[in-house]
This record gives sequence, structure tokens and C-alpha cells, in this order.
Amino acid sequence: MRNTLRKVILPSIMLILAYGFWVSPDFKEISAGVAIFLFGMLALEEGFRAFTGGVLEKILKKSTNKMWKSLTFGFTAATVMQSSSLVSVITISFLSVGMIGLVEGLGIVFGANVGTTTGAWLIAGFGLKVKISAYAMPMLVFGVMLIFQKSKSMKGVGYILVGLGFLFFGIHHMKEGFEAFQNSLDLTAYAMEGMAGILVFTLIGIIATIIMQSSHATLVLIITALSVQQITYDNALALAIGANVGTTITAVLGALSSNVVGKRLALADVLFKVCAGILFILFMQPMMGLVDGISSVIGLADDDYTMKLAVFHTIFNVAGVIIMVPLINPLIGLVTRLFKSEPDIHAQPMYLNEASLEFGDTALEALRKETARIYEKAIGVIAKGLSLDKQEILSDAKLKQVIKAHDKAVEYDIDDVYEHEIKSLCSAILDYTNRLSTDEATSRQVSRIRLANQSILITLKDVKHLQKNMLLYIDSENPHISAEYNRLRQRIAKVIRRLENIRSQEITATSILSLDALKLTLEKNMSLLHGRLDELIREGHISADMAISLMNDSNYTYSIINSLIQINHNHLKSEEGSETEAEHLIALNREEINSVLSDEREVVERR
Amino acid sequence: MKFDNALKKKLLKKLKSYMNAEAEQLQQEDDGLSKVLKKLKKKEKHLKALIAAERDKDEREMLEQELNVVHSQRKKGITLLSSLRKKGDK
Repeated sequence: MRNTLRKVILPSIMLILAYGFWVSPDFKEISAGVAIFLFGMLALEEGFRAFTGGVLEKILKKSTNKMWKSLTFGFTAATVMQSSSLVSVITISFLSVGMIGLVEGLGIVFGANVGTTTGAWLIAGFGLKVKISAYAMPMLVFGVMLIFQKSKSMKGVGYILVGLGFLFFGIHHMKEGFEAFQNSLDLTAYAMEGMAGILVFTLIGIIATIIMQSSHATLVLIITALSVQQITYDNALALAIGANVGTTITAVLGALSSNVVGKRLALADVLFKVCAGILFILFMQPMMGLVDGISSVIGLADDDYTMKLAVFHTIFNVAGVIIMVPLINPLIGLVTRLFKSEPDIHAQPMYLNEASLEFGDTALEALRKETARIYEKAIGVIAKGLSLDKQEILSDAKLKQVIKAHDKAVEYDIDDVYEHEIKSLCSAILDYTNRLSTDEATSRQVSRIRLANQSILITLKDVKHLQKNMLLYIDSENPHISAEYNRLRQRIAKVIRRLENIRSQEITATSILSLDALKLTLEKNMSLLHGRLDELIREGHISADMAISLMNDSNYTYSIINSLIQINHNHLKSEEGSETEAEHLIALNREEINSVLSDEREVVERR
Repeated sequence: MKFDNALKKKLLKKLKSYMNAEAEQLQQEDDGLSKVLKKLKKKEKHLKALIAAERDKDEREMLEQELNVVHSQRKKGITLLSSLRKKGDK
């Protein structure tokens, strides 16, 4: 049914468009502009993809790893490019290829909103308008030349240039197409007093910016209209608010060709602008007073409305950022809920196929590789769930510093990834193992792989539970509770790092047995925490609620680490062999670990 | 019907392994344990050298902890191996 609908809908849309092109050349130009723009987005993403994992990603990560850095990055980029929409669009392509996270992306977009206000100052002060669309043609030429080069990074730069060129080109065609409508815009016809006037002019500002594809163009229009007193000052302010909201259309267009993360960013940008807009409309009078106050402080004349408009534009965006930055986590939570990620290509098994089912060894190898893939993904999810970065956990950097660098809680929907990616991959593995005809030896190995996958699911569920209080306490004002929660994060990160080292050991090493040292550390840390917890309660450093949360969460941490060890125990060398079997036999159980621990304690006490 | 010597040997070997499946299994386990124990011994030596050279207190503590674990693993392994050999003697 769905396929039949698809077969009907696509040709119908094409037919309607074709009729539209025949009837209106302007409509044809606008549609071509949108198509070129979207193609530019694809080229841009292709270009940035060439740099994932490379220098650009590292630079981006370094320059956006703190909120103030992301804001500065966005501010600088928008000041240089004189377009916040373009910065938003490029940020969406960074996000789509996974070079940055949603928080960093939002930081850049917020910073860009402030950066774009420098445009209003340039226009109002000097009548200057930076027009970078003039670079579109050279960008296309140089870009295509670079695409034909052999080097991967050259190709990447080529695609980025072509992408930007097409973006400008697309915007240019959209503007050309809308010009017919722009000329028929007579602002005096809508002149109105009071709240009704503000609302109408906000709407006009939105529509004008969507039509002209540039808030700067709308600002020029407003300043011109204001200077010939075609509109009143408060109507001009309402238009400026509308222009700010309308400018998000470019990001929305850019997100059309992007994945779900890009769409989330575009929605967050729209919500940011709409909320700031509503707030400013509600408090229009006090805001006008504030503008007047600031204008007199910086020495502007009372009737210098064009410069006052620039002041207003700046206050609007700066205040918007100040209000929204603390609300960034709820905002991310909201857009994540609204845009749930659908099962995508990453949720499809990569190694399990029908052909390998016929051959026991090949099938087992496929299962092992697929499990390793899920494990890698799960580690990424755990890192994000703990408000950390996987690459940094696995780097050589001191973990204390890594934790310190990520001392702010970042919301991350583990359930979403669990439901849409990990769970479906694990069930594909289970399904595959059920279809595998096995002898006794193979079934032992299959059962270990199954257990490893089961432990992955348990780990993610535990991280989800742990995340709830962790988000609340890692940057708590109570230093004792935040230290304890950061210690829990550090312990999990440390185990992940040590496990990675064990996994990368050569095949001749006794990897399964290396896990026992981790089990010992786990038991030791657990008893240390119990001791500290008693002290914290006794000294009254933490409240009863905090103590209960910490008790529960230390158990979750224990379970997470234990499951991580189990995953590796069952997955590492899950193939049959006399040495592997011997390692499994020698591996210490919990009782034996505890006896090593008590021996250790005795030695310490004797000292 | 004549058998050449190579074929005779092969058939006899197969028959022997069929008759001694359990003994072979024990032998395999013995081999596996011995190899792992050798590796653990090497690891123990290596850890001792690392501990002697380590100046950082935390890091040394961690290595000592690992050494204790390896020591216990070896003890367990040796017990397993001796009981396996006893079983083989019977």
C-alpha cells in the first residue's frame, strides 16, 4: 500500500511542479533556487565528511568544547560571513556528519545570532552591506577543480567550496524569484497603532525575510522605511523581531536534506527565535526604555532611530542568548522528543548475512564482528550518557582532566538510541543465532556471544538510570555530592579505557585473565565508596535524599562496570580453543577476588 | 586386498584416537593450562619489573594489585593442572 502511494505521489508532485513552472517563471526560479540550495547542502556534507576524524574535527572539537567557546566560534563566523543563516546551515552539516554534538551546534548558532547583529551596525552606521554571494562563481570553479584531485582532503575542500557556491547560488535564485513579490510590498498600507500593529509588523517582518532570504535585506528595508517615516519606530522594532524569526527559514531549508540531528538543531533555532520574539513583544515598552537608556549612554541622538534599531537588534539577540543558554538542556530534551530518530542504516546489521549462515565458522566470525560493532556503539552511548566524549575517554589525556573539562550536565536520550539502534541490532543477533545449526562446541561459543549482547543491553539500561541523578548532581553547588558523582563517572571511564587496552592486546596475551584485575578494582572501589558514604552522612555533608541517590547510583555503577567486564569476558576470544578454555577455567570468581582483596587488606594493616 | 604402510599407519592412528578420546581431551586441557601458566609466569615477572621502575604511587598500587591477581590466578591454575594430572594417572 505504502509503495503504491509512493509510486503515485512522486509523479503527481512532479506534474504539479511542471505545471507551476509553465504558468509562472518566478515560481520556476524559486523552485530551482531551493533545489540548488539543497544540492549545495549535500555537497557541503560530502566535503565535511572527508574531514571527519581528521584535523578539522579536532579543531572544531577544541574550539567548541565549552559553551563560551562555541558562542565565540559562532559569533566570529557570523561576523566574518555576515550571515547567521549561513553559519547555521554549515553547523547543520557539521552535525549531520557527527563532527560536533547538538550542544556545541546550538552554542555556535546562538553565537551566530549575536554575531549577525554587527551587520545591523554596519548598515545603520555606514550603509555598508557585505555581499559574499559575489564569490559563488569563483567558489564553484575552484571547487570543481579541487574535486578532480586525487587527495582526499583536496576533494573535501572542493566539495565544501562547491557546496557553499551552490548555497549562495540557490539563495540568489530564490531572491530573484521573490523580487516580483517584494516590489508589491507597501509598508504604509499596514500602519497600525498598539499591540495589533506590533503583531502585524512582526508577521510582515517574518514574511519579508522568508521572501528575501536575508534578515539583512529586511533590516535595510526597515531602515529605509524608518528614515522616510513610512513606518513608526515601534513598528520598525516589530519588523526587526519578525526578521529575526524569519531568518530561520534558511536553516529549516538546510535541515530538509539533513539527518535527524540537523533537524533538531533547526527546530531548536526556530524555538529560540520564536521564544525570544514572544518575550520581546510582551515586554516591548520596557525594552524600548532600555534601548533609549543604552542609546543615551553611548551618545546617540534621541531621534537617531536607525542606530537605535541596531541597538535593539543587538539587545534582542544578546538577551535571547542569555535567557536561552541556561535552558539549553531542556531545549535539547524537547527537540529530541519531537524528532525521534528512526531506525537508520546504522541499525542494520553489517556482517550478518544469509550466505554465512551455511558455514559455522564464518557465521561465528560474523556474530563476533557484529557484537564488537554494537559494543563500540554502546561505548559511545555510555560516554554521551555520562556527558563525556568517547574519543577523549580513549585518549591518553588524564581522566581527571577529561572529567573536569566536561563538568556540565548534557542531556542525552539513551532510550532513543537504545530503542532505535542498539535493541534492533541485538535482536538481529539473537535471531541469527537461533537460525544457526550448531554442534556442542559451537553452541557454547554462540551462548557466550548471546550473553555478551545481553550484558550490552543491561549496561545501557543501567546508564539510563544512573544518568537521571548524575545530570542533577555533577555540577551541583554541593561540592561533596558533585565530587562523588564525578568519581562515579571517572570510574566507568577508567574501566572503558582499560578494557580498550585489553581489547587491543595481541592475540597471544591472556586477555580474559587481564579482566580479573578490573574485577578486583571494582570490588575495592565499592567498599571504599561505602566508607566514604558513611562519613558524608555522619558529617552532614549531604542530605538524606542525596545519600539515597548516591547509594542507588553506586549500585548502578557497579552493575555497569560488571556488565562491561562480562561483555568482554564473553566476547574476547569467544572462539573455542584449549588456551581460551584454560583462561576461562583460571579466571577468578567473585569469592576468589574478595579473598585476594582481604589478603591485600591484611598486608596493608600489618604495615 | 593390500594396504600400503602409510595408509595402515593413518588408520591405526585414527583407531587409537577414537579409543583414547577422553585421554586426548585431558591432554588438550593439560596443554592449554600449561601454556596459560607459562604466560602468567612471564606476566608476573614483567609486572614485578614494572613495579620496581614505577615512581607514581597510584600507578604502582595498581600494578601491585594486578600482580596479586596474577599470583592468585597462577595458584588456581597450578591446582587445576595438578588435579587434572591426577585424574589422568587414574
